[in-house]
Amino acid sequence: MKHAIRALGVVLLAMGLAAAAGAQDSAKYHTYAEMTARLQNLAKTQPQLVKLESIGKTRQNRDLWALQIASPGGVPAGERPALLIAADFDGDHLIGSELALFAAEHLVKNAAKPEVKARLDAFTFYLMPRVNPDAAEFMWAPLRWARRTNTTPYDDDNDGRVDEDGPEDLNKDGVITVMRVKDPNGAYIVDPEDKRVMRRADPKKGERGEYALYSEGIDNDGDGFINEDGPGGVSINRNFMHEYPFYKPEAGRYMVSEAETKAVLAWLVKHRNVAAILAFGENDNLITPPGAQGRYGAARTLDLNSFADASIAGASKTGMISAGGLAALFGRGRGGGGGGEEMISEEMIQMLMASGGGPGGPGGRPSGASASGGRSRMPARNPATVVNTADVDYFRQVGAKYAELTKIRTAPVLSKPEGAFFQVGYFQFGVPSFSTPGWGLPEAPRGQGGPGTGAAGAPGAGGPPAGAGPGGGQMNASAMPGMMAQRGGAGTGPAGAGEGEATAIDKAMIQWLDKEKIDGFAAWTAVKHPDLGDVEIGGFKPYLTVNPPAAKIDELGPAHAEFALYLTSLFPKVGVAKLEAVAQGGGLYRVKAEVENSGFWPTAMAHAVSARAVRPTMVQLQVAPETILSGNSKTSFIQSLAGSGGRQKYDWLIKAKAGDPLTLKVVSQKGGADEASVTLK
Amino acid sequence: MKKRIAFIGWALFALLAVLPQSGLTQKFSDPPFKVKLDFNRWHDTNELYADMRKVAAAFPKFVTISSIGKSADGRDILLATINNPETGPEASKAAMYIEANVHGNEIQGGEICLYTVWYLMENYGRLEPITRLVNERVFYLVPTINPDGRQYFLEGPGNNARSGHVPFDDDNDGLFDEDGPNDLNGNGIIEQIRKYVPGKGNYRISKTNPRVMEAVGFGETGDYIMLGQEGIDDDGDGRINEDDLGGYDGNRNYPTDWQPNYVQSGSLDYPTQLPEARAEIEFLDAHPNIAGVQSYHNNGGMILRGPGAEAMGEYPWSDTRAYDELGKNGERILPFYSYIVLWSGLYTVHGGFIDFTNDGLGMLSFSNELWNGEQYFTSPELKEQQKDPASPIAPQKSRYFFDDKLEFGDQFVEWKPFKHPAYGDVELGGSWKKTTSRVPPRFMLEELCHRNMAFTLYQADELPMIKMGVPEVQKMDGGLYRIFLEVSNPKVTPTILEKAAQNNVVRPDLLTLEGKSVEVVSAGILDNKESYKIRPTITSLIDQKNLKRILLRNGTPGKTTRTFLYLVKGSGEVTFKYDSLKGGQASQTVKLK
Repeated sequence: MKHAIRALGVVLLAMGLAAAAGAQDSAKYHTYAEMTARLQNLAKTQPQLVKLESIGKTRQNRDLWALQIASPGGVPAGERPALLIAADFDGDHLIGSELALFAAEHLVKNAAKPEVKARLDAFTFYLMPRVNPDAAEFMWAPLRWARRTNTTPYDDDNDGRVDEDGPEDLNKDGVITVMRVKDPNGAYIVDPEDKRVMRRADPKKGERGEYALYSEGIDNDGDGFINEDGPGGVSINRNFMHEYPFYKPEAGRYMVSEAETKAVLAWLVKHRNVAAILAFGENDNLITPPGAQGRYGAARTLDLNSFADASIAGASKTGMISAGGLAALFGRGRGGGGGGEEMISEEMIQMLMASGGGPGGPGGRPSGASASGGRSRMPARNPATVVNTADVDYFRQVGAKYAELTKIRTAPVLSKPEGAFFQVGYFQFGVPSFSTPGWGLPEAPRGQGGPGTGAAGAPGAGGPPAGAGPGGGQMNASAMPGMMAQRGGAGTGPAGAGEGEATAIDKAMIQWLDKEKIDGFAAWTAVKHPDLGDVEIGGFKPYLTVNPPAAKIDELGPAHAEFALYLTSLFPKVGVAKLEAVAQGGGLYRVKAEVENSGFWPTAMAHAVSARAVRPTMVQLQVAPETILSGNSKTSFIQSLAGSGGRQKYDWLIKAKAGDPLTLKVVSQKGGADEASVTLK
Repeated sequence: MKKRIAFIGWALFALLAVLPQSGLTQKFSDPPFKVKLDFNRWHDTNELYADMRKVAAAFPKFVTISSIGKSADGRDILLATINNPETGPEASKAAMYIEANVHGNEIQGGEICLYTVWYLMENYGRLEPITRLVNERVFYLVPTINPDGRQYFLEGPGNNARSGHVPFDDDNDGLFDEDGPNDLNGNGIIEQIRKYVPGKGNYRISKTNPRVMEAVGFGETGDYIMLGQEGIDDDGDGRINEDDLGGYDGNRNYPTDWQPNYVQSGSLDYPTQLPEARAEIEFLDAHPNIAGVQSYHNNGGMILRGPGAEAMGEYPWSDTRAYDELGKNGERILPFYSYIVLWSGLYTVHGGFIDFTNDGLGMLSFSNELWNGEQYFTSPELKEQQKDPASPIAPQKSRYFFDDKLEFGDQFVEWKPFKHPAYGDVELGGSWKKTTSRVPPRFMLEELCHRNMAFTLYQADELPMIKMGVPEVQKMDGGLYRIFLEVSNPKVTPTILEKAAQNNVVRPDLLTLEGKSVEVVSAGILDNKESYKIRPTITSLIDQKNLKRILLRNGTPGKTTRTFLYLVKGSGEVTFKYDSLKGGQASQTVKLK
């Protein structure tokens, strides 16, 4: 019976239907309207506990919902340490949305249970279950492809035409997959072990490429590339500023260009009480916690899709021509030499310049620059990109608990966390910040999953060849790219350099789909293509490799809700541990105090201290400043107070009268506030 | 009385004389300008905006005033657009974007913007180069991108006006901007505080200059102690002036190479966070016809270009060639200014405006640091004299000399007694006013405006401009035609910066061919048509599928003529069109015969 429900869920998902999967109302993927209704219902039925706020609008005018769950009364919700759960920055990651919704409903449903009530009394939970709703909605579109991007018009290949070459469903199965074409210039072969899998031919093993791979569709704009400029847009999980992938696909025109990104950041700036972040998405630091050096695990990609993506890498370089006229400048070309077009690359020019062959560049600093003079050059500083080694153990501990609660051991598809939201949480806002895809594959079979196996290495995976990155000045004279003859894909640039960390998981994914009886891989079938002739269309079906069957939600939901509650148990908690005043005679009092962090995490992570990202804990004696004669000053700050009972001592000599009340206040941005009073005797 | 009427008559006559269509000749030795403005004083935001509107009202055909957004305090960010509608809509012409004053205290760029609008309009029809510039180009001017900071700087004491007005908690106590300096004596200046303690102090009045306080040497005592900046403990936390207004840097909030606050101080919590930056970014992104940018700052006498940080790498050579040409001529237009690369010549800037406009938007961008202190004493003789420590204009004394003899004590604030609420009898003073040092003396403002405008107009004139020669058709065997098509950009600036092409941030130039019954067999590019004709070589093929719409991703470089060589079949008319977002359009039609 359970099997039957699960199977039904799979079928419904595969068909893209939005109908509820039987009696289990939560075991389904919710459209935006359905999700909104659920959130509004929570706020309506529990108005004291739940507040629903729109933090912004998308291009298609959808509200971006933020839910606040906190017990009424006591410390205002905005001043309690808080956990933010946010999901669906990658528009196709719908499972994250469901897990966030599940967590919200779980908290509300169990609000009366003592262990939950204690958390709701002390802390605030914020939930943003769907941050990229415009993109997510395409899961229910009649034609589906793995779309992560919102609907911002975007000229992906920068050819002056926007969104003009999207995919076509040539085999009429309702999804966009991959085309393989027999091509002597192709770089790929069929894997002999599993005929569904394509891999790169290895000339060192005597293998000869037989196939070229493309995304399913036709060349709408006649530029020689297929599906190089589909509708939209920007993936919100590539639009944040940490390790932002400048000028790369799906990243947007510039950092924080999108309304969704801006709305989340503006909200975050106003909610400094957020003490930890749990993001659901196609990044992970929970299933595989950071290593001892603070590095996160490698990306995990489907080679088949990367290979097809690589077929359009040249589209955004068409029309780069050598700098004509330079030949003349260097005394060649005009009536002399070989005549015609002289090809001079940037590198050659740089070399000529370095040897003094060209006109002079700008001078150094003027000796006479007066008022702004005297400012010395600062040594170059770089932002942190790995978890501070002093913080790593905290992350690993959380990872261990995550594994214990969820039993997830192996991540599914993961992208590089470039411009990802969760990275901003730790690296810019200084709080422990976690990301998980929220579900997993079984343990990787032998020979799979390790870097460098078989088809792994995936040159070109995760975007354009490395040469397109910022600072890559190597666009040279020969950059008039080939057209259809794209040498089977990633042959157009020095791909792979620096991108070798990606692990291909095609086989593991197919095995999981088989085992779970999910129709997630379209068998290769012959189709006549208008330009390419005989092709076969097949491959991974969109959404099904990123989201597990809906029936799994009921299994994954409680574990993640538990995990969210666990995270709040780690929050720092400051308090006045001791306050005493002893009369010294003559109206003088010696005041001694100790403040303590009785929580688990420090009031600021080590990175937060070095990045000055978390406000120091403030300790303030509530007296007029001039009454303090010696000792500490009225206001002191602690950069970070260790958890598990870390203490700091204070000592003042003040002038006061017997009977005066004396109050000490301690305020921590992430660990709450406390105050204690004594009456002077 | 009679005299006055006569004067008015003359003025009217003169007015008619300067109208280009009037045909009357100039009767005065000097043009009687239509709008009277003052360039010997500083304008706060309200005055600046009012003057901008005055010019716009006088020249409504050309000047449009609008707002690109609101500042943190709700002021409009005013934009003046200069466009001659008779020579085409804005988007069809290369535009120069000029902005100023992102740091609230760096005010003089605002006056330059006002001067520029005024000068272009008053001299349109009078001076040929100005008339041509206004006809050929579009000018967008934002006289202050930080109107709050400017107003604050000019209407009050002006301390910490570099920042904008988004509240910022400098001292981490949960309160925002709650304890800045206080103008206790109400004279509009934040002064220093000193207290007279005869024989018990650690400061004394300098023997060589009675207006300078100096710390005493080892084993000595003085008659004064110094008590910091004028202010009180507003928030009662035991500290004075520890949380002044704002506390960030508006020019570190742009989304190219933005870095968090611990790497780049003042960058705020995320790029584009400031409403002013966001408004400007969205305006620029929506105006891809902008090819050149000038962002006025102060001071030091510099013509700065990016990159702002070493790690960003030097610009491609074909870009620095254009920058160098403009920058070197800038040094000739602007004595005491040096053409400098930002990171290597000044300091590292992450998330700066001109890095965004160059790398992120493909606009050739300069930032002038206005006014150089060397301009106080300019002649070589005086410079020589300054080397002598005994000279009244030796470096330690020169500013006092200048203030005494040329500004008549306008800038230095002498010590005066004051009763401080906490410190008792003290003296306030010993400070320079905000209108000195970083800005020129008022009487030198107009020259600063004119010279910097001249440099920026030179840049505007050297923005790309596409020209197309008459296509040369040669009939060949088999119904084939060979067409030589010359396309040139006679200006210094390329139609697309190489950096922009690498980053793919500017739409490629498009070379299209229209002809009902014409088919393109091949197309290639020649460096020089004449040498090809004498000695044909094998040309490179343009490897694009659609040769009727050729993409030129890195455009046409500056000072370059290229020949496109088409091989076509068919008959009838052929129209070539070159369309560049930043270099304008050009087209030619020929008949195949």
